Order: sequence, then C-alpha cells, then structure tokens
Amino acid sequence: MTSPEPGAPLLELSHVSRVYGEQVKVYALRDVSLQVRAGDHLAIIGPSGSGKSTMLGLLGVLDRPSEGTVTVGGVDSGALPDDERSRLRGDSIGFVFQQFHLIPHLDALGNVATALLFRGLTKAERAERAMAALESVGLGARADHRPVQMSGGEQQRVAIARAIVTEPLLVLADEPTGALDSTNAAMVMEIFAGLETSERAVVLVTHDHGVAATANRVVSMRDGAIVSDVVQEPKAFEGAR
Amino acid sequence: MSRVRDLVSVAVAGIAARKVRTLLILIGPIVGVAAMVGAVGLTESAKGDLRQKLAELGTSLITVEAGNTFGSKAATLPKDSVRRVDAVATVESASAVAEVKNVVTLPITGGRDYYQAFPVPVLATDTRLPGVLQVPLRSGRWIDGSDVRDHGRVAVIGGALADQYGVLPGEARTIQLNGNDYGVIGVLDRVALDPSLDNAVFVTQWAAKNDFGTDGAPTKMFVRALPDATQRTADALPTAISLGGTTEVSTKIPSDALQASSQADKTLQQTALFAGLLALAVGGLGIANVMSISVIQRSSEIGIRRALGSTRSLIGLQFLLEALFVGLLGGLLGALLGVGVVYLVSAIAGWVVVIDYAKMPIWISLAVFVAAIAGLYPSVKAARLEPLETLRLG
Repeated sequence: MTSPEPGAPLLELSHVSRVYGEQVKVYALRDVSLQVRAGDHLAIIGPSGSGKSTMLGLLGVLDRPSEGTVTVGGVDSGALPDDERSRLRGDSIGFVFQQFHLIPHLDALGNVATALLFRGLTKAERAERAMAALESVGLGARADHRPVQMSGGEQQRVAIARAIVTEPLLVLADEPTGALDSTNAAMVMEIFAGLETSERAVVLVTHDHGVAATANRVVSMRDGAIVSDVVQEPKAFEGAR
Repeated sequence: MSRVRDLVSVAVAGIAARKVRTLLILIGPIVGVAAMVGAVGLTESAKGDLRQKLAELGTSLITVEAGNTFGSKAATLPKDSVRRVDAVATVESASAVAEVKNVVTLPITGGRDYYQAFPVPVLATDTRLPGVLQVPLRSGRWIDGSDVRDHGRVAVIGGALADQYGVLPGEARTIQLNGNDYGVIGVLDRVALDPSLDNAVFVTQWAAKNDFGTDGAPTKMFVRALPDATQRTADALPTAISLGGTTEVSTKIPSDALQASSQADKTLQQTALFAGLLALAVGGLGIANVMSISVIQRSSEIGIRRALGSTRSLIGLQFLLEALFVGLLGGLLGALLGVGVVYLVSAIAGWVVVIDYAKMPIWISLAVFVAAIAGLYPSVKAARLEPLETLRLG
C-alpha cells in the first residue's frame, strides 16, 4: 500500500483537463485543481453535465487526464502503465457505485473478499477480513446471502464493506444513495459518516444536496470547472434534497 | 503461487456459477473426446480376441522350409540346419522336423484299408520342438534324451489326431506305424500357429531312419527369435542355412497373418476420429460463442474487478482459465463416456475390450487445446473492456 508523506494530500488534481473528441474538442473538465487530504469527507456536487462523473473517473484512476496531473498517494497516476494503475487503484481506492456492482454469483462474503484477491492472502485470511468488514456495516449475519437475496440498502452496505476491506486511502462513492429509498439511504449515509480517518478521506460524488450536507467539505462544479470549495460543519443525513 | 491459486478459484467460481451454460458448452468437448476414445476403442476391441490370441502366441516364431523350386523333388534342408540356425545371434531356439513318407499309421489292429486312405503325417523330430513352439503337452511327455539314446519306439501324437483316435488323457496305448508298435507317450496340444502339426505323429530320428529308412534331412524348421528381432532373424536365416550352397530356403512368420487380421479397421477408425475432431472443433466454436456473450453479460463483473485492482492480464487469464477448465472437464468426462461406451458395446457384442489408456492424455489435451483456442478471443475481449465504460458512472 502506498502512503503519502505526512501532511501531503492523499489525492491531488493539478490543472487537469479532460477533452473528448478528435476534431471537435469538448472539454468535460477544464483546468481543475483539487487537493484531497486525510480526514476530508468531501462532497463533489453539481448538476448533470457539470463534469463530476469525469472527475470521478480521474479521481478513481479509471481515466487519464488529457492535460495536467492526477497524483494518488504521491504517485503521478497518469504517467503509470496500465497494470500499475490497476494496482494503484486496488491498493489506494475503494469504490462504491450507485448500481452496487456486486458480482451476482458470489455471496456477500465472497463479494467483499473479491477485493482481497491477488494480494498473497490465503482464502481463510480473506474470509476473516471480509467478515470483519461485513460486521462493521452491520451485515455479519448475511454473509452467505447472494445479492438477489438482499435489499438495495443491504447490497450497498456490502459494497461499502468491499470498498473499505482493503483499507484504502480514499473511499470514492458515486451517487451512493441514488438507487435507494430514504430509509436505506439514511442507513448507508450513517455508515459513510464515520469512514474518514486521520489516514483516509471519503469523496462522495453526487447531485443530491442532502448527501452533500453530511460532508465536512463541499466542492461545487458547473460546466467542467470548480465554482466553489467550502469547508462546512457536517450534518446528519435528513433525506434526499 | 498465491496469484495462480486465486486465479484458479476465481475461474472455478465463474464456471460453477452458471451451471446450465457450463453444461451446454461442456457438450462439445465431451462428445468430441468420447467419439475419439470410442472410435479407437471400438475398432480395436472388435479385433480384441485376435489380439489376445496374438499376445498369447507371441510373434517371434519363424517357420523355415526348403524352397519349392519348380521340378525339384521333396525339398529338404541341410541335415545340420539346426546347428547352423543356432549360430545366428538373434535365435533363441530352433527345432526341425523331417517328414517320413509312405507310412501307414494305424490306431488299432485291423482296419488297415480304412486308415490307409487317410494318411497321417509322420514327423521325425528332436527333443526341443514343444519348447520352440511354446506349446504345452496336453498329456504325457515329449520325446526326451533317453528315448533318443535308447532307440525307443515312442511316439507323440498331435492334438487333433488324439481327438480323432479318441485318446484319453493318461491312457496307455500303442499305434502301429508300418507294422511296428509305437508306444504313445504324450499328446501335444494344438498348435495355433501351425495347425498341420495337430494331425501328425512325432517319432525320433532313430526310428525314422531304422524303421522307415529316411536320411533325417529336415523338411521344416521352427525357429524362435529373440523379442523384436523376428523379421531380422527371418531375413538372415536363408543365408545361415544354405551357407552359399544351392538350397533354396523360404521363411515365414506365421503370426504375421494373424497380426494383419488383428489390425483394427484403420479407415473406419480414422473416419470416426475425424468425426470426433469435428465435434471437438464445433464444440470449440460453441465455447467461443457462448463465452463471447458471457463477457458482455459479465461486463459489470469485469469492471468491478478492474476497479478493485485486477490488471487486464488477470481478467484475460481468468476467462482463458475458465475455457481451459471447460476443456479439461469436458475432456475427462468425454474420456469416461468413451470408455463406458466401449465397455457397453463390447459387452453386448462379446468383444474383448482393448483400450489404450496411454493415449487418454492426448485426447484430453486435444480438448484443452481446442478450448484454449476458443477461449482466446473472449479472453482478449474481456481484457480490453474499459472499466470506466462498464461501470456506468452516475
């Protein structure tokens, strides 16, 4: 696992642009700079088309910037070959998606343990750590249930357990409550609330102001640029807004 | 090592998760390998009884006769042929018989007219013949050294003749050869490789010379070659026997005919093998087809695995390994099915089962190979999927 120098940002976007198209260039993101530090519980908010999905791809090392640099844990991810980027992703970032993206043929424990594959762990070690992660999201009792046997909220909690089981620097969530009813959304947001630590940051990408209100820092985006970056007092989740 | 283990567990889980689909794509390799195993097994088993007989008889016996040059009278071999043959390095043992002409053989006193009409070959021979033929005596004993030394009038009779005469095991009896009483000391079992011996009466060289006035020159020889040297030995014998003389010598390997007839029908075998290969190839297309669709259906799984740190090559290997396991499992099940079919058909047809288990790894690897080729395209396709596109970010 990569660890940045103390005080250095976990994640840094420096003058990043993302351009689509060959002849006609469309800027999805234009000259964006952003630093994410340990302890940040950051919400990136903006309407659709504001560039937040592009931002998510870059933050998650799923995409390469057209210009500028994306530094993860002190490493310039854009300069790395594909395999190194995959490993960096696996080591440093935990993903939570709107559509959960659980593997249907694996049970909850198997889905969480999947994140621990190819790390030199035995099956028993993987299962032990996956079980601990499932218990931390309150699903220890449903370890042997498959995704189809679980509610959306439970599936999303499994996805969170999968995101944190590798102890990443950054938990990156894409509209984590987008597919959930309010009760389940509240339960999921409650789990997110305590996830940032002195070594870890949480980034929520959302268009939902209710979700953004739970963050201690809100970055607003519009038309491929950051329009505001505000530190705020986090509030409990009170439903989608 | 742990990477390989992880990869195997992921691939196995991937196959086990979709049982019906896996079963469907297993059919190709199963049918292909079963057809090939069955093709070889059935065509070989159809001749299984002959092969078993051949295995019992061996293929190292050579018969030697004087060449039948046109116009030559009863052709004989040189008198010391056995000694000459023994000098050949690849000869294990040799024995000779000399046919005695114009002998009337009577099993009982009287009935001379009847038995005269059915001449029985009388052969003067040595003590080594059953050993060279590797044929046991049905009862009694063969002519031995004391018979030769003591000039005894003893005879051994062939199995078929014994049946014809109604000789009972252990019965003490005599037969008359040109009026001389001969004690029957044994009955030779039937000689599968030279049935002409089954009707013969065997006597010592002394008796042949003394009672019937022959010169003892062999008319036929039996030579047992060392293993794997039969043909070479047969080729060398004419020179070894004639030693530059004028005797024409012809050799025969009597097991050759049996061997030829015990060969499986190669055309049929190849046709069936080809059909099996074709089934395997079509099965491979099926694997490629189903797995390609599977890659699209599992794009979310591929995306999340990539997001969780799997490299392109790991994703590709996962799918390739799934294909390999399908090939391996299909090959094993196919081999099992093929063997089962061979046993079943052989049981019904009354054949002796012949299955070359040493060839099984070839058939199974063939299935694995085809599956690997088939899995190549889906694997590359899976490896090339972009996680950003498959994860549908909000």
